[in-house]
Amino acid sequence: MMAGRGNRLSTFLIATLILMFTGGPVLLALYGSLVPDRVLLSRETSVFDYGLSLESYRYVFFGELPPSYLVEGANRSMISDAARQVPQSLWNSARIALSAMALNILLGAPAAYVFARYAFPAKKLSFMFIILSPLVPTTALVVPIYMLMQSLGLIGSIYGIILVHTAQALPFTVLILSVFFRKLPTELFEAAMLDRCTGFQGFIRIAVPLALPSIGATGLFAFMLSYSEYIFSLVLSGEARSRPVSVVMAALARNTDVSWSLLNTSIFIAIIPTLVLVVLVWRFVVEGLLSGSVKG
Amino acid sequence: MWAIKRYPLLWLLPALLPVAAFIVYPVAYAFWTSLHQVMLLFPGEPFVGFDNYARVLTSSYFRTAFLNSVVFMLLAAPLVVILGVSAALFLQRRFAGSMLVRSVVLLPWVLPGAISAVLWIWVFHPSFGIINGVLLGVGAVDTPIQWLNTPRLAFACVLVAHVWTQIPFAVVLTMAALSAINSETLEAATIDCRNGWKRFWYVVFPEVKAMIVVLLIYNALIAFTTYDLVYAMTGGGPGTATTLLAFQIWRESFAMYDFGAGSALAFVMVAVAALLIVLITRALPSDLFGERP
Repeated sequence: MMAGRGNRLSTFLIATLILMFTGGPVLLALYGSLVPDRVLLSRETSVFDYGLSLESYRYVFFGELPPSYLVEGANRSMISDAARQVPQSLWNSARIALSAMALNILLGAPAAYVFARYAFPAKKLSFMFIILSPLVPTTALVVPIYMLMQSLGLIGSIYGIILVHTAQALPFTVLILSVFFRKLPTELFEAAMLDRCTGFQGFIRIAVPLALPSIGATGLFAFMLSYSEYIFSLVLSGEARSRPVSVVMAALARNTDVSWSLLNTSIFIAIIPTLVLVVLVWRFVVEGLLSGSVKG
Repeated sequence: MWAIKRYPLLWLLPALLPVAAFIVYPVAYAFWTSLHQVMLLFPGEPFVGFDNYARVLTSSYFRTAFLNSVVFMLLAAPLVVILGVSAALFLQRRFAGSMLVRSVVLLPWVLPGAISAVLWIWVFHPSFGIINGVLLGVGAVDTPIQWLNTPRLAFACVLVAHVWTQIPFAVVLTMAALSAINSETLEAATIDCRNGWKRFWYVVFPEVKAMIVVLLIYNALIAFTTYDLVYAMTGGGPGTATTLLAFQIWRESFAMYDFGAGSALAFVMVAVAALLIVLITRALPSDLFGERP
């Protein structure tokens, strides 16, 4: 297409606008985490007076009190213990999200393969069941699932959360993976059948190795869903020990005592895994989606 | 005897069972609870018929929360779709840094709602937020605007933050639909039709119409049932300005320990959601789930 100067300028302007809207708040958090509160909270002092520092990060990870608070005898309550929960919550989130991801692949891949390669009576019905189930509002499920977990004795542990997150992500796993499995050339499986491979061997020896990148990508998607889920994590986690990131962050957000730079530090620490994910997800899931799912 | 061909449903079970256990069973259970008096503080669960529904539907907060949710949905869904589709159309262009923009657009998608909330509280903060900073800096206003403490403004702020979190999904799905359009059709259209807007309306739009309809209804559903972002940003306030229906379920159940009323309210929401789901399935092209030719 024509790329005149005016066109290029408008491209630049629109791109900047999109970047500012979508990435701006995140950049602000990064900035906020690197400067002390007294720069953030005052119009007289600027970042040039004090420079950037990692003191908030040191507090969150090692419990070292930021020197700026000690020097000025700043209000002790400004430093919230909740910020110190962030590393533990990251570890919880990692365990929850990784388990949900592994379970999703283990449980979802066979189903996706069956949907992609076999015709059977209740196919459309069961597929619709899986596809439409995420449309039930989660808020309607919170109370029953809470009571179910209570009767199973899984409140206050990460296992209940893992189960729920697995079930929540499964429909997406099955949908995306069946799209990927459908793209594999049929001839491969026909050849395998001639060699007396069973359907299961065709799955394990042909489909899985060939679709491995896609399976990884789908797993990432499940990871992402679990990592950002809030309501069930809140209701099922109970005490501080088993809280994932989303819950601790919400607690920090509602806590008026917390220092802004600590809050921003916690945010940014919690964002880092998702920053890595964005790149991975775009590379694998989205490019894969763009290159044929809809056409296929 | 485990052959996939013979027993395909057996191989689906590992995926179907968890979904059934955590979606179908809870919905059934919620319905049962909604017909009983289930309060944590009182033992026994007597059957009360539709009392819970009557109590919830006639209560003073229901009207407010329901209206808030409906207005929120009617504003959020079209906004997400318009902005998402526009961004997707724009991102079709290739330019230096287009990959960067494409990646950054995804960012809000992967952030927990609570984190998005904090980011936006920070943006809208009356004294230290960047918006007031800029407005005061250029002299557009003399006193800081109380974004999150003024009912109408708070509603608008929550809306902006919500739209921000939902745009990535709209962008990705629209780009997927756009990439499926035959490139020859597009080239022919470029030659025949110099007007970009007309080209979009007559050539591109019909191709992505189905996706846009799905997105619109999906977003209506999300907006109608969302709660975590708004809760973390405003706690439903100031007053009841940003109290959404889904938030009210939470309050009934876990703040007042009245699970019966909470479930009744949840069921009202399921009914509305079911209506939306029917609309979605109607809008889907009928060949979407068909066999591969």
